[in-house]
Amino acid sequence: MNPLIPIMVILPITCALLLNLLHNKDKTVKILALIAGVALPLIPLLANYGMHYFGGYAPLIDNPTLAQGLPSTITNSSLYLFHPAITYSFASAQQLFIFVLGMVAFLAIFTSLNETKRASGVYTFLMFMGTAAVTAIVLADDIFNLYVFFEIAALTQVGIIICSKVENNYETALKYMILGSIAAPMLLLGIALLLGVTGNVNITDIIFAINHGMVDPQSPVLLLACGLILFGWLYGSGLPPFHTIKSAVYSKALPHGAALLQAFSVFTFAALGVIIIRIFAYLPFTETVVIFFSLAAMILGITMALMQTDFKRIIGFLAVGELGYIGLGLGMGTALGITAGLFQAVNEAIITAFLFIGFGTVLYKTGISDTNKLGGMLVENPKVAILVLLAGLAMAGVPPFNAFQSKLQLIQASINAGLPELGIIMVLLSIVTFLTFVKAYYTIYLKPKPQDLQIINEKIPRATIITMMVFLVICLVLGLFPQLATDSLQQLAVGLV
Amino acid sequence: MIIDTQLASFFTAAALIVLGIYGAVFMDNLIKKVIGLAFIGDGVNLFIITLGYKPGGIVYIYLPELAEMGKAFFTQNAAYPLPFALVLTSIVIGASTMAVMLGIIIVLYKKHGTISAAKVLDE
Amino acid sequence: MIEYILMIIIVVGAIMAMVQRDLLKAAILTGVPGAAMAFLYQFLLAPDVALTQAIVGSAIIPVFFALAAYKTRRMEEE
Repeated sequence: MNPLIPIMVILPITCALLLNLLHNKDKTVKILALIAGVALPLIPLLANYGMHYFGGYAPLIDNPTLAQGLPSTITNSSLYLFHPAITYSFASAQQLFIFVLGMVAFLAIFTSLNETKRASGVYTFLMFMGTAAVTAIVLADDIFNLYVFFEIAALTQVGIIICSKVENNYETALKYMILGSIAAPMLLLGIALLLGVTGNVNITDIIFAINHGMVDPQSPVLLLACGLILFGWLYGSGLPPFHTIKSAVYSKALPHGAALLQAFSVFTFAALGVIIIRIFAYLPFTETVVIFFSLAAMILGITMALMQTDFKRIIGFLAVGELGYIGLGLGMGTALGITAGLFQAVNEAIITAFLFIGFGTVLYKTGISDTNKLGGMLVENPKVAILVLLAGLAMAGVPPFNAFQSKLQLIQASINAGLPELGIIMVLLSIVTFLTFVKAYYTIYLKPKPQDLQIINEKIPRATIITMMVFLVICLVLGLFPQLATDSLQQLAVGLV
Repeated sequence: MIIDTQLASFFTAAALIVLGIYGAVFMDNLIKKVIGLAFIGDGVNLFIITLGYKPGGIVYIYLPELAEMGKAFFTQNAAYPLPFALVLTSIVIGASTMAVMLGIIIVLYKKHGTISAAKVLDE
Repeated sequence: MIEYILMIIIVVGAIMAMVQRDLLKAAILTGVPGAAMAFLYQFLLAPDVALTQAIVGSAIIPVFFALAAYKTRRMEEE
């Protein structure tokens, strides 16, 4: 029994509730938020691997004293193996995911505390709550617990949009909620069908029941459940047909909020995708459907990014497009492909957060996000401009950075899996990503400055620069030593095949 | 009766979900849309409850009166309680989502002066 | 027998709430399927869920809708 595993979820929730109580005490809130923020990435590093059973109700097989007095009809049946409690499983892959999520959350909170004037208020509360929810989604081995936190994550995302004072944020929030209120019950219906067929909500037990012939694996109810859970997955991560609303959500949030929101989507995508592959990989079409939607996300997301003029929309669509790479890795169905896909998830969460915060400085200085009205920002602040350029290079997959390693592995995996055409599409779309970024970069930083552009004479907070430096260092470290990440992801990937 | 309670209950749940999706997609009034969304949630909840129902069964609470009939009678006849525990959470989540949506609609009404989806959500 | 009547009430009440043009009446009508569902849960052997549904479905949610209709506009526009 490892107490640090539930603390990963409980700490941000407690901190969020506490911060909400301390209204108008800016200094206390700032200190508390920073301490809790530092703890977010540290706890997963300190915790031991293992399972956590809420209430301490371990399966009978792990609980010999209780199992002794039971009749043999129970100990000989599969009831002996079932998990009666809500289970959190924590292994090396979850450790890496939660570490990266905690890092992005800490840096986003750190930036927001320094950029916004008032530290107290619901914004910090929502950021902590969302982090707790997504951490629970990554940890949960219980599909209903996952649904509950999926809903909480969706509500906090809406809250983060409402807190920003960007134009039309309420309209986008309502649209996202209406779509969410259709998609989330569908996900719940899929979970209910799984529950009806297998009598269980624990993922390990569902897989046990399907693989050991306790239920008919080809039953149409399971096919329907697979379809409904896939639909919820598309909504939660913003794959087509939800790519437009998801990128609008990113563009309506403040830059640090958007950095955190995309990390939420990436990890929800990876965690739910892994669960879908775990449960339904035996169905012949699951992997094809995952590849199809991932390709659609890549093509639609990246080509639509090329057409936008608002730089927040550009990064929003790029973020959706880059999700496709993860899906392709998962859909290949080989250990190499899944490792590469999950590695890409980690990289994307870091790089997109880096880009959002980097371009956020432009918004901080000018208050404008339309690229047609911007220009000449290079002269204003060359240091930030170079950092943003490095972030863009990292996203496109240029050698010393981390995305290069994961994209290379993805292409190798696609050739190994006998799908070289996916590799070609990935290379082509990487080039388009780079073009999109260069176009945005040119219009914002290099083009001569328009006459009517007002630049606020206020220095960019040092916290923002530090944040970007930290992201750059993580990108470089993962780029030079990819085995740091792939070694921990490999175990999960091998278990899935 | 020609169809048994469980099947009829499944059909009711399906009717609610279909009606809710119809309302959420085709109604123009935002509050009507949200009413439709509430029906989708209700339908799914009813579906899960019906999964746990056992025709001719008893309530899954182990009352003292049942003790004399033996544990075996209880375990063979009680309804399956896991889905019911899930629905309790689901009802509360649904209600809080509705509240947030209606709050946003009130703010949007103050801004646009209308609650017609075509006018409010059109960018 | 009562369960079938309750099911019919749920579906008919839901349809009536959807077609009602007066939003305040529609809000109150959403309480009808909510309350009927609470009784139905009792017949489906889930008394604890029925208690929650009775409060949430037949009181809280209709009040939310009625408040929203009161704060915005009462009649649905053409």
